[in-house]
Amino acid sequence: MKRVLAAIALAILTTSADRLDAQAIPAPPVQGASAPDPSEIVGEPSGKRLTGDALELETKRVSALLRCPVCQGLSVFDSPAEMARNMKIEVRDLLARGYTGEQILKYFETSYGEFVRLQPPLRGVNWLVWISPFVALLLGGWIMLVRLRSRPNTSTASDESLASSQLLDESLAPYLASVRRMAYDNPDDSKMSAAPNPGPVTMGDQK
Amino acid sequence: MTATLGRFLVDLSLLVATSGAMVGFAAGFRPSASGARLARRFAYAFSALMTAANLVMFYALLTHDFSVSYVAQVGSRSLPTWVTIASLWSSLEGSILFWGLVMSIYIFVATFATRRDHPEYMPFAIGVWLACAAFFAFLIAGPAQPFLTIASPLADGPGPNPLLQNHILMAVHPPFLYLGFVGMTIPFGLACAALLTGRLGHAFLRPLRTWLLLPWTFLTVAIMLGGWWSYEVLGWGGYWAWDPVENASFLPWLTATAALHSAIVMERKGTLKGWTVTLVLSTFLLTIFGTFLTRSGVFNSVHSFTQSSIGPTILVFLAIALVFSVVLLATRIDRLTAEGEITAGASRETVFLANNLLFVVFTFTVLIGTVFPLVVEATKGTQMSVGRPYFDKMAVPIGLALLFLMGVGPALPWGRATGEQMRRSLLPPAIGGALAAAIGWATGVRHGWTLLTLAFGGYTLWITVREIWLPVRQRMRARGEGVGEAIVASQIHRGRRRLAAYIVHAAAVIVIVSIAVSSTMGKVSEVRLNQGQTTKIGGYELKFIGAEERNEPHRISTAARFEVRREGKLVRVMEPAMNLYQGQREPIGTPDVMTTLTHDLYLSVMSIDAAAQVVGLHSMVNPMVGWIWIAVGFMGLGGLMALIPSRRRPVTDRDDLMTELRPIESAPVTSLVEEGG
Amino acid sequence: MNRRVLLVGLAITIPAIILFVVSLGRDPHKVRSPLVGRVAPDFTLLEAGSGAVVRLSSLRGKPVVLNFWATWCVPCFAEHGVLTEASRQLGPNVQFLGVVYDDKEEKILQFLKENGSAYPTLNDGGGKTAIAYGVYGVPETFFIDPSGKIVAKYEGPLTPQLLDSNLQKAAGRS
Repeated sequence: MKRVLAAIALAILTTSADRLDAQAIPAPPVQGASAPDPSEIVGEPSGKRLTGDALELETKRVSALLRCPVCQGLSVFDSPAEMARNMKIEVRDLLARGYTGEQILKYFETSYGEFVRLQPPLRGVNWLVWISPFVALLLGGWIMLVRLRSRPNTSTASDESLASSQLLDESLAPYLASVRRMAYDNPDDSKMSAAPNPGPVTMGDQK
Repeated sequence: MTATLGRFLVDLSLLVATSGAMVGFAAGFRPSASGARLARRFAYAFSALMTAANLVMFYALLTHDFSVSYVAQVGSRSLPTWVTIASLWSSLEGSILFWGLVMSIYIFVATFATRRDHPEYMPFAIGVWLACAAFFAFLIAGPAQPFLTIASPLADGPGPNPLLQNHILMAVHPPFLYLGFVGMTIPFGLACAALLTGRLGHAFLRPLRTWLLLPWTFLTVAIMLGGWWSYEVLGWGGYWAWDPVENASFLPWLTATAALHSAIVMERKGTLKGWTVTLVLSTFLLTIFGTFLTRSGVFNSVHSFTQSSIGPTILVFLAIALVFSVVLLATRIDRLTAEGEITAGASRETVFLANNLLFVVFTFTVLIGTVFPLVVEATKGTQMSVGRPYFDKMAVPIGLALLFLMGVGPALPWGRATGEQMRRSLLPPAIGGALAAAIGWATGVRHGWTLLTLAFGGYTLWITVREIWLPVRQRMRARGEGVGEAIVASQIHRGRRRLAAYIVHAAAVIVIVSIAVSSTMGKVSEVRLNQGQTTKIGGYELKFIGAEERNEPHRISTAARFEVRREGKLVRVMEPAMNLYQGQREPIGTPDVMTTLTHDLYLSVMSIDAAAQVVGLHSMVNPMVGWIWIAVGFMGLGGLMALIPSRRRPVTDRDDLMTELRPIESAPVTSLVEEGG
Repeated sequence: MNRRVLLVGLAITIPAIILFVVSLGRDPHKVRSPLVGRVAPDFTLLEAGSGAVVRLSSLRGKPVVLNFWATWCVPCFAEHGVLTEASRQLGPNVQFLGVVYDDKEEKILQFLKENGSAYPTLNDGGGKTAIAYGVYGVPETFFIDPSGKIVAKYEGPLTPQLLDSNLQKAAGRS
């Protein structure tokens, strides 16, 4: 018990400098009381006892992976709810006592169920949710490539249909095409398809 | 009395929508001018009736007529007028009625705007719109009836959900969301009409694109407003938590964005018709899916005690719409023959394809992450979560790839780029990328993904600005025009749609970069302060001056006052508060946000004890958050700008003809660069 | 008719529809606590007011009803009456324990003074015990059998009937 309190006191004292001139929250548990001990569930602490900035960073990382049970999908780190704050403090306490992030996640999971892990752990059926986006990407990419390859590798679509397709009134197409031939004195289809913006270029050339 | 009138109008609108849908389909299968006219009249009649029903509800709310069940549920005499108006969409029944209003406006405007065009398509489109309208009218008339008569009304009501009353954004966000969501019915109807007729010609692409772009613009702004509301009200200092409700609004946005891009390829190349139509159908289906998610209660947390009665009805509609869409696509997609094709190689159209692939994978990822807990629960019986850590991990690489493509695409020409063209257009923008990353590094960014985002952002922004600028310079050189004149001529008059697209792109770059920076570079601190104590965060010194209680008509506000100092100088006094609303037991926090050019100082109280003068303070410095709201605003403006129809010029002047002929989206920079150098 | 589109489309939509139908049918009140069937996490807490030390494992040998609540929780109010009444009736055969989550000592005492008390009420300041029990909100009640194993959990306010049926389980008479 003393060890716990010492660790909590240490944690409070060594948190970021922001806290030095203010009382850290919340008040430590009353002397004589003791909460259930995580070591009964996840074994003895198997990591390093964290302090200072390392403790704060790891608290942030681990509590961002835990779901605030009373919120709409917010993590314990993000949530301003009272319960989330208590859970964040519990995470910090356990890290200061040397429990690893994975141990802490397991401890919360034992009491709250897998529901409490915002990031589905990689096991069993959860693999599906992790892998399926990649499968979708590969499958989609493959279909796309196959479709592109299966086409004859001619040059691009003819500029003719392209330009006429711009028009709202399709009946004007033949007329406009003839005007366009007038506009480019020597129309070179292949050149135009590579650079289908001949208007300003011609004018620039003239200058 | 009022309630009876409302019920009558809703019932009549249901009748009109149902018969109108049948008339529309009949007129579509056996085209005749009189049939089409009749279908239009039914559409107008539905719009009039549904609008009238909404006006009746507004009247009942404003006159505090507590004999109307919905008013008794959400009304209160002590509310400010804006809250009373907003309470129309604050609760389930009213929000469905409001949905009907938005739908009636859309149907009216879309029917009216197309009354002279596309006679072979429009009866079908009207039929589909009215079929959807009939479903919502049915919801209002039955499971979500807001016009029940209360025999012995009380003198006053409880008022709407306090979260609604707590911020003005809640009066703005839902209308935009509905304008985005409901509006997707219009392109859905048009796409169905294209499939039903088995044609999708060039002329019909124009209304399809316009009516997709309009709700897309609203939805874009709505998603931002939702995030902003969450940021200003919920007190956790973030704006996006990937919760199912947020995902529900994001999914149709993703597919609609993909469809807007594939429609460009369709316009240019005459291909991807079936694909574009599929995306439009998916967008609509995802809006209905989102409505189901948020209204059915399947995602209520274990401690939620409400179960909605409209869930099963929406599910039936969703199922019908899904099966209808699949069968329609399967039977008709082969009739939408392509007029052109896309070949492999480095070109703008292949980048468009990659863009579509990524958007679809993005949609799939968000969708699977959202429904996966349901899948696991249905199959294994255990409860699990898929939350922000998962979505962040998936969204970051996809978002980065899209950011990069947003630069590469516009830099490449249609057709096929030569190696020389690619070097000239793709390499110089790397300077912009390096510059942005260097600025990030210099200002303290060390997070790998954020630096990468900055680099890609700088790269894409460089290209986007170049694409806007080059035609201007071109014109200045070619005609000796001044900068202003050239900008007006080349961008506002001729290439408005092109400019609009690039404004949206540039704004999107800012949004993505701001999200990356704000979510990795923020500072947080939680402290408990007594009166007179100070705390420091990110260069600010916050001094707790004291807490005071204020009695306002509909709430008790307990505000904590802080003096904010920077380098010893008083910058501002901030007052995060806790508001206790009438008839509520738990107070709701209201953060106070100070926005500066580079960052926000965000104060929210976790607890206040006005008697003991103790406050639990959650303070944050969030860089670049304000940029997100502004940039999304520009995305919306860009969307609106692209909607302004371009003037049709008489085909006389040779030069004007040239402009008309010039493909709007083209202008490969390389040719201009060559010419310039 | 494009059969590929039809097959792919139906392969996506049919399972989706089935999934949503199944999901609609589930009862969000039914919570499967992973602790049910396990030994109740042991704790030592102080009784509100008296400061007496109560250790859960020292109560083995009879069923324990462990009720998490708070004075700011509205449904807890009605439930408190049910539990107090039951505790008075059952006497020493069943041990009732209240654990107050996230509350102030003086508010607890005030509440007990106004509403009566028949069993120890423990103060879980900081909520560590609530976290160990996976408490989502209040009220939540755990039923522990004489061997110290959790046999049932109920979320929400207990009625006399619910209390009775769960106690049957805890007494091994289910």
